[in-house]
Parts: sequence; C-alpha cells; structure tokens
Amino acid sequence: MANDREILREIWEGKLPVCFQLDPNEVSELQQPDPFFLMVPRLSYFPLVTDKVRKHFSRYVDSEKQEQDMWLECDGQPVKWHFPIGVVFDLYVGADIQLPWNITVHFDKFPESQIFRFSTKEIVEAHFMACIKEADFLKHRGQVVSSMQKKDHNQLWVGLQNDKFDQFWAVNRKLMETPSDQEHFKYIPFRLYMDDGYKQKLIKPITDDGRRKTLQDLINETLPNHANVKIRTHGMIPPMETPIQWMSEHLSYPDNFLHLCLQI
Amino acid sequence: MPSSLLFSINNEGRVHTLSTSGSLWRELPYVGQEFKKLSAVPHFLWALGGDHQVYVYVHGLDIPIRVREESYENERWIPIEGFTSRLLPTDRYHYSSADGTVDRSTDKIRLPSMAWQWEGDWQLELTLMGQPLDHNGWTYAVDFPSQYYPKKQWSSCVRRRLWVRSRRYSAMNSWCAIAPLHKDATTEPFIDISVGGNNVVGADPGTMLVWAVTSHNRVMFRTGVSAKSPEGAKWNSILVPPGCEINQISVGATGLVWASLLDGRALVRIGVTRDSLPGESWVEIRGPVERSRILHISVGTCAVWAVTQDKQVWFRKGVKGEGAGVSEELAAGSGWVEMVGRMSMVSVAANDQVWGVGADDRVIYFRAGVTLADLTGKRWRALHAPQQVSRASSNASLNRDKFHRSCNSLNQRPHSISETTAGIAEWEEQSHSAPTAPTSLPVGEVTGKHFETQLKNPKAWSPVRSVGSVVGTEAHPETDDSIWQADDFGNSSIFYTEDEELCWAELETSWGWVEAGACMLDPSQLPNWFIEANTLHQAELEQPWRLQILDNLKKRVPAVEMYAHYPTAVDTTSWMQSSEARVCLNPANSGSVFIECILQLEWVHTNGVVTILNLEGAATMHQFSVTDITCVQCCSELGCPRLAVHTPHLPPYCIKFQFSSDSQLEEWQTHLIFVCGQVHSIAGKPPEQSLWAVTTLGDIFVSDTVALESSQLQDNSYVQEIDLAGKEVPVSIPIHSGCVPGTELLLTGCVADDVDRVGINLDLHITYKLRHKAYTELENTALHFNPRFTDDIIVRNSMIEGKWGEEERDGNLPIKSGQEFSLKIISGTEEYIIDINGTRYCTYKHRLPPHSVITALIWGKIRPFKFVVKNPQPIINPRDLFWRQLGGHLRRVESCVSGVTWGIGYDHTGWVYNYGWGGSFIGSLDSHNINSMTDSQDYRLYENQRWNPVSGYTSTGLPTDRHMWSDATGKQKRTRDQVKLPSMHWQWVSDWLVDFHVPGGVDREGWQYAMDFPSTYHAIKHFTDYVRRRRWYRRCAIATTGPWQELGHTKLLEVSLETVSDTVDGVVSVWGLAMGGQAMVRLGVTPSSPMGTVWEHVGSDQALSSISSGPYNQVWVIGKNGCAYWRVGITKDKLEGDSWASVEPPAGVQLKQVSVGKVGVWVLDKLGKLYIRKEVTPVFPEGTHWQCITADPPILSSAPNTTGFKQVSAGNREVWAVTDGGVALKRHGICLENPAGTGWNVGISGNWQHICVKAL
Repeated sequence: MANDREILREIWEGKLPVCFQLDPNEVSELQQPDPFFLMVPRLSYFPLVTDKVRKHFSRYVDSEKQEQDMWLECDGQPVKWHFPIGVVFDLYVGADIQLPWNITVHFDKFPESQIFRFSTKEIVEAHFMACIKEADFLKHRGQVVSSMQKKDHNQLWVGLQNDKFDQFWAVNRKLMETPSDQEHFKYIPFRLYMDDGYKQKLIKPITDDGRRKTLQDLINETLPNHANVKIRTHGMIPPMETPIQWMSEHLSYPDNFLHLCLQI
Repeated sequence: MPSSLLFSINNEGRVHTLSTSGSLWRELPYVGQEFKKLSAVPHFLWALGGDHQVYVYVHGLDIPIRVREESYENERWIPIEGFTSRLLPTDRYHYSSADGTVDRSTDKIRLPSMAWQWEGDWQLELTLMGQPLDHNGWTYAVDFPSQYYPKKQWSSCVRRRLWVRSRRYSAMNSWCAIAPLHKDATTEPFIDISVGGNNVVGADPGTMLVWAVTSHNRVMFRTGVSAKSPEGAKWNSILVPPGCEINQISVGATGLVWASLLDGRALVRIGVTRDSLPGESWVEIRGPVERSRILHISVGTCAVWAVTQDKQVWFRKGVKGEGAGVSEELAAGSGWVEMVGRMSMVSVAANDQVWGVGADDRVIYFRAGVTLADLTGKRWRALHAPQQVSRASSNASLNRDKFHRSCNSLNQRPHSISETTAGIAEWEEQSHSAPTAPTSLPVGEVTGKHFETQLKNPKAWSPVRSVGSVVGTEAHPETDDSIWQADDFGNSSIFYTEDEELCWAELETSWGWVEAGACMLDPSQLPNWFIEANTLHQAELEQPWRLQILDNLKKRVPAVEMYAHYPTAVDTTSWMQSSEARVCLNPANSGSVFIECILQLEWVHTNGVVTILNLEGAATMHQFSVTDITCVQCCSELGCPRLAVHTPHLPPYCIKFQFSSDSQLEEWQTHLIFVCGQVHSIAGKPPEQSLWAVTTLGDIFVSDTVALESSQLQDNSYVQEIDLAGKEVPVSIPIHSGCVPGTELLLTGCVADDVDRVGINLDLHITYKLRHKAYTELENTALHFNPRFTDDIIVRNSMIEGKWGEEERDGNLPIKSGQEFSLKIISGTEEYIIDINGTRYCTYKHRLPPHSVITALIWGKIRPFKFVVKNPQPIINPRDLFWRQLGGHLRRVESCVSGVTWGIGYDHTGWVYNYGWGGSFIGSLDSHNINSMTDSQDYRLYENQRWNPVSGYTSTGLPTDRHMWSDATGKQKRTRDQVKLPSMHWQWVSDWLVDFHVPGGVDREGWQYAMDFPSTYHAIKHFTDYVRRRRWYRRCAIATTGPWQELGHTKLLEVSLETVSDTVDGVVSVWGLAMGGQAMVRLGVTPSSPMGTVWEHVGSDQALSSISSGPYNQVWVIGKNGCAYWRVGITKDKLEGDSWASVEPPAGVQLKQVSVGKVGVWVLDKLGKLYIRKEVTPVFPEGTHWQCITADPPILSSAPNTTGFKQVSAGNREVWAVTDGGVALKRHGICLENPAGTGWNVGISGNWQHICVKAL
C-alpha cells in the first residue's frame, strides 16, 4: 500500500520554474516578446500547461502561423511532450541543473518525424489512460483498472489536470493496492530511459526466495552489462538499496510507471 | 473496532490470550487446573478442564454483574387492627413480586451459587416514581392490582412496600466451576462444551447458549445462561435421534448448533429461535467423505467449517445464520467444499473469520481474505506472536505456583482469600449464608474428589462443594491488566518489578486449541500478529534509503524563493463551481417548496460569492458572500440529499439546497466548507475552549469564539461599534452580553428641529405569564431615559413586569433641538452614570439587574449616528458563531475546559477526540489524525391493527384510526418500503424484524394490546382490548471517518467531563453511565492521555439515566425513576467520592437530564421544562430549592414543532439549551444575584440534538 503520505505529497508538489522564449526567427513584430515565466508541475504534461504560453506568444508571430501547432524545443531538440514534464527535465537537463529551465517556443516547422502532435487535450488523456492500463496489466493483470468505472478514470485525469492531490489519489490508491492474497505487485511497471529511447522488462518485485528486490536488482536484470550506474527520477538520485515495490508505490508518475533516467 | 481476544491452549493445557491490539500471547494465571477445550463469547469463556468438568471464566467487564432482588411486602387494612400482614385468602402473598403472582419471601430468596455475594442486607425502597416516601416506604391503594399512592387516604385498604437487596457475581476474573451432573463428578464427565448464541435474532441482549456433551453421549443444554447469570441455572438433557453418538458440538452466534457424530455424520439443530432457545429438532447431515469421519466442527454466523479424521478442512456452503432458526435449508446448508491445508481443529468467529491449528506443525493459522462475499477466504496465514512470559505465567514463576498450592492445601481456600484476614472472615460468613441446596443444582449436594483438594472438614470451603465455587484467583487488577490489555510497554514497567524482567519465549509454542468466538477481527485492518509484514512496515519510515529520498526530494529546487513570483501553471486560487440544484429560500415556513435553480460559487483568492440563478441563468434569485455563512449543514431527509446554509444576518437567514445525489451534495459541502474555512482562517485543531454540538443526523460541529473575541478586544474591553447613519428610528440594538458593571454605551446623534420626546430604553427580555392558557407579555425596562423637549426635563424610570415605577425628573435638559449630542451611559455596580455631551448629568440606581439588559431601543425624532458598546465581557451573539464540522457520527459529545472531549455514538460506543480534524467528506488535505468509524441506528415503525368481531385483528382500521403502518405517535404514515437510508454512507445490516424489546412488554408475536389507540400498551391481551400494535425495526450502519478513537467494550449512555486541576496536563474527572445505568469513573484521564486507563464502577441503588460533573467536585445524577442525587465526598484525590445523597425533585416532576457547571445545576424534566437548583454553594452543594423555567412563546415559535427543551448544558459562564425543534439557545442575564438569568438569546435553528458548553 502506498501509505507514506509525506513522500507522496512531496512528489506531487514537485514543480519546476520554466522560462519560455519565442524563437527570435519567428518573431514577426518589431518588438521582441518578453519571456514567459511559469511554475509547472513535474507530474503534468506540457500540452496541459502551455495554453497561457501560446496565448502570450501567438500575437508576435505571423498571422498565418498563429493557428499552427506550437512546439517546444530545449537545447536544440524538440521536447517529447508525451513524457511527463519531470521526465523531460531529467532527460535533457540531467545533472547540471540550471534553473529556470529555458525552453524555446516554435510555431513553425513542426518536427513531424520526431514528436507526436498533441492538438487536443483528449489525445493526451488517451495516451495517459493507455499508460495507466498498461501499468495495471503489469501490476494486477489489468483487474483493477477494468473493474473501475468511467468516472473513476475521469477523476484520475481531472485530478491530474487540476492539480488536486486528493481527487487523484482517491482513485489512484486502488491502483496502488496489492492483490489481497499478496503483498506485492505481479510485475513492476517501469521505463528505463537510455540513449534515445527506453527499456522495459518484466521484473518481479521479489526474488524467488521471497527477498524484496531493490533498485540495484532491477538495474542488474535490465542492463546486465552496466555495473556502476546511477538512476535519476523526480530530480533526485534514489539509493540503490531502495526496494522496487516501495518505489513503484510511492515514486511512480501519475501514469503509474516508474520513469527512471540512466546517468552514466 | 475495539480490541478483542483470541484464546488458545498450548500443549501443556495452559490458556493463553492474544489481544487484537497487542502482539504477544499472554498466559492466564495458572491456578492448578489444565484445560482441554475452550469456547468463548465476548467476556465469557467456557472451558472443559483436564478433569472433564466445566468451568466458566468471566472477564474484562467494567461493570460488575449485579442483580437487584425485589420483594413487595403487602398488607391489608382490617378494622380495629389497622394494617396487618393478615391478608384475604384471595389476596397475594405477604411477600410477593410486583404483580403479586409469585411468593417472594425474603428468607426464600437465596444466592443462586457460591459465585454470588450479597451487597448488604434487605433495604426499603423509599421513592415512588421519583417522589420520596416516608421512612417506612409504604405506598397505599384501594385494592391490590391498582394504582399506588405515597399518601394514605380514607379509601386505602391495602398498602405495600418494596424491599430490595443486590447480589453481585464475585467470581469475576476467575475460573468458576459448574456443578457436575451427579454427586460423584466422575460418574458422567463432560467431553465437549460450546458457548454461543450471543446474537440470536430478537432475543434479549445478554442471552448466551451453552451446549455440552457428556461421556455417556448425552447432549446437555444449559438453561438460564445470560450476562446477568453467567453460570446459568441447570443442565437439561436434549434427546438425540437413536443411534447417534455425538462426540463434539458447536454453537454459532445466532444459536445455530452443529454436532459431529462418531459414525461420521453431523447433526444440525433446527428451530433455534428466541422463543425456543434450545431448538426443536435434529436434522442429519452426511459427512463430506465416506472414509473419514468429522472430527471437529465450528459454527460462525454464515459459515460452518469442519475437520475430518484425515485432517482435511471442509467448508459448508449455503448456511445462513440469521434465517437458520426458521429454515432447515439455511441451517443445514447445501454441500461440503474441500479446502486446502491440514488442520487439527478450526474455530470460526462470529464475523465468520476462521482460525485453525495446523495438523502437523501445531501452529495457529488465520484464514486470510475471508469476506462476506467470499466466506472461504484465500489462504492460511501463520500467526507469529511471541509469548510474553510474565510473572503471571507458569513458565516464569514455577515457585509461585508451588506457593499457591501450598496455600491452597493449608487453608483449603483460594489464595486470593487468604491474602487478608478480613477477606477470610467475610468469606466464611458468605459461605454459611449461601444456600446449602441451590435451586440450580440438579442432584443435591456434591461430595467427592476434585483436583488436589481432599474434602476433610465439610463446613470448610471447597471447590466442588457447591455450584459456582471459585477455583481461581480473582485476578489482581494490575496483573489482570497485563493479561487483558494491549501491550502497553509504558505501563507495564509498573506492574513488573525490575528483577522480573519481561522476556519472550524464544521457541515456538506448540498449540493444541484455538478459540475465536470472542474475537472480532476486522479483516481489512489486521492486527500485528503476522510478524514478517509488521516489522517491515514499521521500519520503512526509518530506513536510510527512505530518509535520503525524502531529503533529496526536499532539496530538488535550490533557492525556491527566487521563483516565488512565477505564476503557477494550474491556478488553484480562483475557481468557479456551478451546477443545477433545487433551492428553498423560505425553509422556516411550513409550506416550503424546492424550486429548480443554478447554484454558483465563485472563489477569487480570498473571498467568494454564492449566487443562485434561475434555471435559464438569467435572473439572480439570491446572492450572498461566503463571509455571511456561519454554518453549512447536511439536512437530508428520506432520501433527499439536502444542505442547509445559514446566513443569520441576511434574510431569509437559512437557505436549503436539494441535490440530485449524495455525491453531488458532498461535493458542494466540501467546496462550501473549504471556502468558509478560508474566510474564517480555520486551520488545525479547534481551541480547547470550544462549543461542541451534534445535529440530529449525527454530524459533529465545533465552534469557538476566539476569533470573534479578538476582533472586539480594544484596551482590555470588548468593543462593538454600530453605524446607525441613515437608519430609521425607532431602532433596536441588541446588547448580547448585557450591561454588566463596567459597560459603557455611547450614542451620538442629532435631534430633529420639531422634536417633542425622544428616548433610549435599555430593555430586558419580556416576561411571559401564562393565564387561562394564554400568554400575557409583560415588558421590562431597566432604564427608560426620556428627554421631553416641551417640558424641558429628562424623565428616568424603569418598567418592571409591565408596571412603571417612580419617575426621576430632577435636572434640566442639556440637549437642544436641532443639535448634535452625545450620550454616554456607564453601568456601575450600584447605578447607571449618565453623561451628556461629555459632562455628568445624573446617576440612576439599578432597579433591575443590569446583566439582564438585552436591547437598547432608540426612539423619537432623532437621527442617530453611531452606537458604541464597550463591555468587559466579549459581546457574542449566538447567531454569529461560526460552526465548523468535524468528521464522524455521534449522538452526543461532551467537552471540558482543558479540551478533552468524548463522544457517544448512536450504538452507545464511546469515542475520544484525538485532537485531529477533518475526516468524512472533508478532503484528506484538510484532515489530520483520522480514524475509521462506524455507528448504527435502528429505523422503527409500528404495525397497527384493530379487532373486529368477524375476522379478529386485521389491518383494516376505522376511518378515524391512525395509519396501519405508522410512526410511534400514529400521526405519520410510515411503510416499510418507504424507509430509505439517510445517505450513501449507510447500509442496511438487517432485514425488517419484529422488536421484542418494547417498553411495556410484548406477546410471543411481538404484539402489544390496548383499549384504543393513543393509549398505554400492555403485553397480555385483555377482554376489552380492541387494538394492538407491534414495533418493527431495521438496523443500518454508517462507515465514516473522523478524528475519534474508539474507547472500548463498555457501552455508554452518558458521559461528563470536568477539569479538576488547573495545572498543565491536569487530571480530568470523567464520569460515565454504562448501558444498564451504572455510574463509572474513568481513571487516568489528562489532556495528554484523553482516553484514560480504566473504568471504575461506582455502585448505586438506582439505575441512572443522566450524569454530570461540575466544579467544587460536584457530581449530580438523575435516576431512571426521575430522582436526582449528588455525590458526597469527592475530593481531588478521591474522584469517585463516598456515597449518593438524594435530592428531592420538584413536586410531581420526573427529571430526565442534569448539567452541572460553575453557573449552577440545571436539570431537564421529562416534559421538556428546565429547572435550576437555587442556593448551590461550595458549602451546600446540594442547594435548597428548584426554580422552574418554561419555554416562552419566542422559544416555542423559534422553529416548527417546538414544545419544550430537549437538552441543557451548563458551563463556567454560560448555559445553553436545545429545544425539541432543534434550536440552540443561550441563557441571558446570568449573574451571581440571579443565577437563573432572565431570558433566552436564540441561535441558529441548526437541527441540533445535543450541545456542550462545559468548556466555556
């Protein structure tokens, strides 16, 4: 059971200061627009929090481009906004944290080949729910999520969107419960980001002899050839001896996955 | 769920207990007897000893088992001789029962067994219906079955008086032997014993069923076993079908009996109902398999589990405990289901949880995952509870055992008695006075061998000499604690001396028996019995990796304050909520209707507005600010989810909303409570000195005046400024704390040019006199200040009960027409000092107490500017109080100055406030220290029938009759399908059942008879009875959460708290009433330990119905008979006091409730009138006489259906009462000279049930 409220609370309240700037090449007005500052929740997704950004910058670009999809860029790479914001930050910025996080806003030349178009929030929601379902298949063979009603699913999404911890956790708690006859999930839903993608593997939370597996065990099983690595998630480096069952219950993102970024 | 106990026997025959709130097995003190089998219901443990005799062990009761024996002495008046004991041949016995049918000679009333002791000698009952009698206690009547009166009249031909004597079960916390079947105990020893039936449908509370099997394969049923008679009366043999040899028997909670036969079959007892507790007949059931017979069987409520010879476990499906009495199918079930696991025995608890003893490893297992939906559970889980070896256990102190035995053989008495010589003397007397042939003993006296003790002196005490001999020791309260209470390591150091350190048995004990009949375990909250899970979780919080993660998370964004000006992406500070609802804008009117509307709540940063629009959204029907709201209350009824919002300064004062569902209601409740909390900056726990109140729906509210007071405080006085500019005169300004000495009133204004007379009146509450069923209003004015411009004088006067007094008219008129003026009235201890335009004008001696002033009336041709009240006391309008809701469901709540607060649920469970907040629908963000909570309530309705000559009693009534299904009054139609659950948090826990426990008694089918409707009902049908009724009930239960901690097993009627010492963490005296009306005092209660430690019973002759403790060590109680008593001899060191002293109630009045505070002793009678005890002083705490306060017309019109008061609470400064219409009232004008006050200030009509101002 995810019952360590102090941790859950801290994870939920994680926020990042972001400085959005419009690509100078796209400015059509004489005056350069001011940068736009925003505190964004780590657990949310960029398409959910950038309405104001779009509104702020759209009048500075060509009128025919205003209606085009906005996209974000960080250090020359388009931001993969189907990842939670915290994951994007951990991936791009990594260890040498410089805040605020500078992100360039583009309205032109959407990089179709590299990122999805998230034109409406419904698409984000569909993606988010798909992740939750996948995670529940790993944890409970999908029994919990399929027994939920539509309004529960909706509550998860609205809770995340409106930054309502109680609303979200009232439903998410059920997803984080262990099966009644066991004290752990079937498999741990996680994504281990490395190079330019991520790895997933079926990993049980306990060993055959009943010992609780730790983060180290997970790394050893997923990446047998990497001895001394560090993992970054939620902007911090968890100790290698942390049990993965506990991590899954407490450090998962709202999509119920552990998003672990490999630090070489 | 309070803690309960699991019992077990180890391989040495020693009994052990494991508390659900503990994690260690503890051994029951060993008294020289090993045990083979156990069977338990809460508080009562039956066992089969190693000697194959039956023993009973009563434990864990806070209230001793007491039975009051009554005997009426009857006399008849005979000419010349006067009243004599010679009665007519047709008369009743000289000493009889109340109805005269039974001979009750006091010398024939004996103790049922040696386990009982008399408490004192026969005494006369000296009150009748709460009214005192003369010292002989006689009551007089014309003839015997008649009305008795306290006074002798010319027509009194008979008289009677009541003798009472109480006996007490003295074998509490010790093994008590049950008489063997024959003189020689070895003739027919027992082979099995089982107790259950504590939950037989409709049976009297406290009923228990005990079944046993003898070595001659006879089945015995023990009659008369109940909580009032734990050892029962006698064994009755129950016939079994021929050819059936029973080897084991089990009784479930609902009385269902299963027995296993030697040939492998099983027997089920059919027809166990409240009328026939032993049941009617047997039904044979085939065993699960041919080759292997049933060895052990255990019955729960809806589950029967069995173990066969090959140690295989079987579950019987289709058994349903509730219907088992009437349906053979439900009693016998439909088939066996094979379970995994090999057990040597199983035990099923009343809630169908299952335990077993492993066949091979002798470990106790718990069946995990047993739910109502899945009674078979998921898997067996081993219990890993270490054994605590204490000095009370056999292993640790072998020497002590030897010592005990030598004691026993020396004295031939249990060692507890040999501890003090006084005890011996008392006991010898007891054993002599005890009957030599108790009625319950089937075959006369018993002699012969018993363990160890050889009977030498026939007069000496011996365990087997008579029924109920006490084998064990009455455990010392302290050692007792160590066994029955949870592992309280903080306390245990007191009980165990240092050289006898606690140690844990290292090796696993090998168990022989487990008994779960007394164990109520909540499967969703498993106790700490399963070590592997337990240790891990506890340690998790302290693990270095967890601490490091937390630390890292907190440090993620360095210099976070640099970004404080960044707007947040998701704005949570301003929002708007809107939905369709129905609104009632005039709920006070009886014909109120709910109309469709759109309800909007707009919140911007720090304040919000509630708008009610019509359905098109075009027109605003009503609008108010969140700051106007003082209370948001749920007021759902009959399946309509409704919310009341009180805005006491804005008409219509109270608005009710109706929503389409409970969840929509709660959504709005959460929003409104959140915004109100923001506006009133509510955070954390309420202050110690708060008002507590409970609504009729069981919702808990708390209110404090701290914020209100601090906003008024200016230079040591409380100031209220009222801007009167533009107000029409006459204007009336409430002065809520009266003109107590030190009050300053300042009025500035301008007199008109054409002025004649102006004035300011300081008015009191109107006195109402009831004459010829009509009230006359008599006005009271403390100061009438009346400048008359035509006469050029100022007239001062007072009006007392409608009559003007003598005018004071000296002095001139310093105010000029058309000019501004300032008038200052200062209330002194003796007089009002009046200044005009800054210069002293005159003084006016008090004629009426200035405390009682309630309004200032300004009238005449005058333009007032401003009115300022400066008061040494806070100026609090009861309507202004902001009520904050806390989670939970209670019937009453009581608090005290130091903030310790206790509540009692509708199911009489005691709850202690744990200083948290939130819970229930309030989001977990605004909650702290929340526990889950349950409560249950009965819905009751009456089925009415009328007799007609053709068809007898039918449900066709006369046209003028009440509804054939109605409420208690008969005025409201109530059908069974009409009844709905109060909200989505409630669920039914029973079906509709006939209630057999209706006051006045019922017949076998639950009917009560009467001549005609509205009447008194009786159980036996008379010739003249034309109508009958019976009560149906259905129980529902709520699951909620709140900042409350469950207290324990003892059910409570009332509780009262009073802080005894002012020191930090000072002792709080807590008095309570148990369900049977016994008074108790709770020891060890302090603000840091609000639960206290243990109840101590305080004996009283009467059953009590109300209790209240106040300052000067005063405790007052009200008896069930309507009498008042106060406790003599209470000191700080002796909170329980010495004795009860009776206080005569007002003539002809039966009292119901009492509340004692610094402001006095207030009581409520059964007709809804209040009385205050006058001249109560620290020296004479009993006072001298009563003053009656009736409900005045303003009170009666404060809410619909108000007839009088429902409850009263007296605190340090204030007295509040609740009317039966649900309005809270504050008594005004209470001062030393007039402790009764002068009138009521009306608060909001919050549907209140109970209010407590003890903390104020």
